Amino acid sequence: MFENFLSIMIFVPIIAGLAIFVLPFSKEAARIIGLAVSVIVVLLGLKVFLSFSGASGAFEFVEHIPINESLGISYSLGVDGISILVLAAAATLFPMVYLLFQTKQKGYYANLLIVQGAMIGAVAATDMVLFYVFWEAMLLPVFFMIGLYGGPNRLPATIKITIYTIAGSLLMLASIVYLGIAHQAQSGEWSFAMTNLVGLSLSGATATLAFVGFMIAFAIKIPLFPFHTWLPDAYTEAPTATTFVLSAVMAKIGVYGVIRFVVPVFDESFARYALILACSGVIGMMYCGIAALAQKDFKRMLAFSSASHMGIIALGIFCMNIQALTGTLYQIVAHATSTGVLFLLLGIIEERTATRNIDDFGGLAARAPIFAFFFAVAMLASVGLPGTSGFIGEFLIILGAVKFNPLIAVLAGTTLIIGVCYMLWLFQRIFFEKPNSKLAGFGDLSAIEILTILPIVILIVVMGIYPQPFLAKIEPSAQRQMAIIEKVQHVAEYRLEPQKSGQELKTGDR
Amino acid sequence: MQDIMAILPLVATITGAILVMLAAAFESFRKEGISILGIGLFAFAFFVQLTVENGPPIAPYETMFNGMLVTSTFTKVAGLIILGCGFFSALASQTYFNQNEGFVLEHYCMMLFAASGMLLLTMAAELITLFIALEIMSLAIYTLIAADRRSVLRSEAVLKYLMLGAFAGAFFVMGSVFIYAGAQSTKFADIGRVIGESGFLTNPALVGGSLLIVVALLFKAAAFPFHAWVVDVYDGAPVPVTGFMATAVKTAVFAVFANFLVINGQLQEGWVSYLFYISVLTMFVGNLIAIGQNSLKRMLAASGIVHSGYLIIALVAINSEQFTGSTILFYLAAYAVSTLGIFAALSYLGGEGEKRHSFDDFNGLAKVRPYSAACIAIFLLSMAGIPPTAGFMGKFYIIAGAFKGGYITLGALGIVSSILSMWYYLRLIIAMYFREPEEDFEVGELTLAPLGTFVLALAVFAISFIPVAI
Repeated sequence: MFENFLSIMIFVPIIAGLAIFVLPFSKEAARIIGLAVSVIVVLLGLKVFLSFSGASGAFEFVEHIPINESLGISYSLGVDGISILVLAAAATLFPMVYLLFQTKQKGYYANLLIVQGAMIGAVAATDMVLFYVFWEAMLLPVFFMIGLYGGPNRLPATIKITIYTIAGSLLMLASIVYLGIAHQAQSGEWSFAMTNLVGLSLSGATATLAFVGFMIAFAIKIPLFPFHTWLPDAYTEAPTATTFVLSAVMAKIGVYGVIRFVVPVFDESFARYALILACSGVIGMMYCGIAALAQKDFKRMLAFSSASHMGIIALGIFCMNIQALTGTLYQIVAHATSTGVLFLLLGIIEERTATRNIDDFGGLAARAPIFAFFFAVAMLASVGLPGTSGFIGEFLIILGAVKFNPLIAVLAGTTLIIGVCYMLWLFQRIFFEKPNSKLAGFGDLSAIEILTILPIVILIVVMGIYPQPFLAKIEPSAQRQMAIIEKVQHVAEYRLEPQKSGQELKTGDR
Repeated sequence: MQDIMAILPLVATITGAILVMLAAAFESFRKEGISILGIGLFAFAFFVQLTVENGPPIAPYETMFNGMLVTSTFTKVAGLIILGCGFFSALASQTYFNQNEGFVLEHYCMMLFAASGMLLLTMAAELITLFIALEIMSLAIYTLIAADRRSVLRSEAVLKYLMLGAFAGAFFVMGSVFIYAGAQSTKFADIGRVIGESGFLTNPALVGGSLLIVVALLFKAAAFPFHAWVVDVYDGAPVPVTGFMATAVKTAVFAVFANFLVINGQLQEGWVSYLFYISVLTMFVGNLIAIGQNSLKRMLAASGIVHSGYLIIALVAINSEQFTGSTILFYLAAYAVSTLGIFAALSYLGGEGEKRHSFDDFNGLAKVRPYSAACIAIFLLSMAGIPPTAGFMGKFYIIAGAFKGGYITLGALGIVSSILSMWYYLRLIIAMYFREPEEDFEVGELTLAPLGTFVLALAVFAISFIPVAI
């Protein structure tokens, strides 16, 4: 019938969003349109996911329309094993938002639709300039959603996230332009296509600067220590659905960007600085984990927890081996589902009780058992309990980290325990302990809410028990990606071998 | 005959100007009639410019009129931008003077005269012609600013501009004299030949002369250190005139600047290192000025300085061997569309006597007038360089050009400058969208300016799809 699924997935939401802005729809109509469009995108996303073979590791569902031929800019889309799971997350998680939350203004739904289209576009783009266009387009709806519909301190939070991310992306723009020039210098033709840029041999100070430009942009989006300071404010002040979008999908696109663009193009710089970046990932994990322990506001706590988990996801890339990379790609979805559900459930609590103070809660498990059960599953996945999706990803990452640098692996593994501490403690304070009289009217989830969240909870368990179908789609592409970085001759020099680093540690102890 | 055909748009504009002047003498042509006539003439000139045949795209010294004028695709597109600016400024004027004092019947006549000066400026290939064109443009602009003689603000603005502009004109004449002494000709082609034969730096008259000319052009382009007049003058002028000055004048000046610098590679090389610093300082000083402003018009004036800085980046990276100027023109078009859009919007949203002028006056605009606010937001995002707007592609081409020419630092500083500029562009968006409205934004009888604003908002996206080679 038609073949350009990706374009449809990108532009149907964007056009629907713009239509809601411009045409005089009522709030309810906007919500129904949003829901309908997001369901269509889910169906298309499932279609793409299921018919994606992934065996060759090459791009599938390719679309290509030249835009500026003399500069080699084109509208090209494609999916491979690196992007398929991120794409699936961006495509499938949205209907929940429309079903669970109602807002006062239709513009909110319009922004949600636009951000979804832009995110799918960013994941599917295989041309750097096109990627940049969608990457920036993701930001604007978030800017409006936080600024218009956020909490009482929304303005500083909005300005912070906007200036931060725009600064990052403009630096990335400079780097993208540099790559185009480098391609022109090396092959005589302009090109911004991923497949061409991978072949560049980049060295020298300017290439390193370009690498830094990319890394800062992605580090801000992920966010990686020390570029994480916008996150607690933005996540806390944003309305629940926006926090959900930011944590479940947008942060993942930062990680995806590093894997897709930085690793293959700047292979040498990446190999050289991987250790520093890995350290920054681990520091972020620890720092945000400890910060999460101290929070009184559960949304803020979850924000720090999300940042802490992004640390380990990022760490998986910097370990530069197949296990860690596969783990990262897997964990992208695992974290999207678990953190996403946690944010949504806490959002429901916030809507009903109008408070986010953990001390105001207690004994909810008795009043709302299904709610507590869902929360428990998502929480256990978030802390990486075996049998849930979180375990597979984190296990693979730690495994890869051991091969990369045992010290980092030990630190990362230990830090996971902090995650268990604050999560279980949160669960205890909200769901157990003595019931709080203020929560007398708190009923369990409604049928619609249960039906909305149930598929994700099932997915969390399925991904934990039977990861093979997912891993099979990822692995060929991950291997191709690794083959690129293995080609860097000096990679061994930058990678501390296990025995060697063990000895160094001992000598240090003496 | 072919010569005449090539300058047909110029002829059309000047004839139009005279026509409007004569029409103003008739009782039957009052404000409305004159406005429609002026707008129509700009549209007509635009189409003449669009249809006129030009020489090959890269032929800067294809001479006409005994070497006084050149036409090429570069001058043609520059002319299109100028006449487009004139058209939309005329639309904005029509609405602006519905709710503001100070309309004189000569308004559109002066706009057409200014436009004709600008067209001549883009085509000038000889210093005397250039000077005449510069003065035609400047005198018309002075008149436009201070047509309302009773307003102190306008008179102050025009006095500042006139005094400094006269200095710049004097510099230009002095420079021409030096160059004539050094090259025995005022034609660009001959000057280029002399430089090619005897070298640029070995000839002090040429160095001094071109220094003075560059100073005059930098003054007109509002570049550091000759930028001090910009904020006050733009602030003092009526809104549509400010928009016209900020866009059309800049287009003309940068067109002639590029034409002058590509006379000979050595001339440009001799100035590149200085233009490098000037561009950096222009961008950062402009940003500093803009960040401090509370008035929208003043902020836009200062941001105009910053955009001049970006354009000078393009001048630094000019390749005089194969000059097409496409980057400069694209950026100018992108900048013109978004700036004119904002000024068109301001000319009806400003209300009676420009009563809304500061950031705070536009608080909550989005809740009362969502479409106008959305258009302004689009223009601001384009100026800030956010995709998929024209401003983004313009910046992209400029930075790509700088990198390609080996000016990595300059390109990177351009990026840093656009990060800084986010602050004041976002500030207006935040005011419009995130603050509560304090009034109901009543405006006078709405006619053409909102239409112009809407068309320009669409153009912001349309222009970004025009492919440009670097």
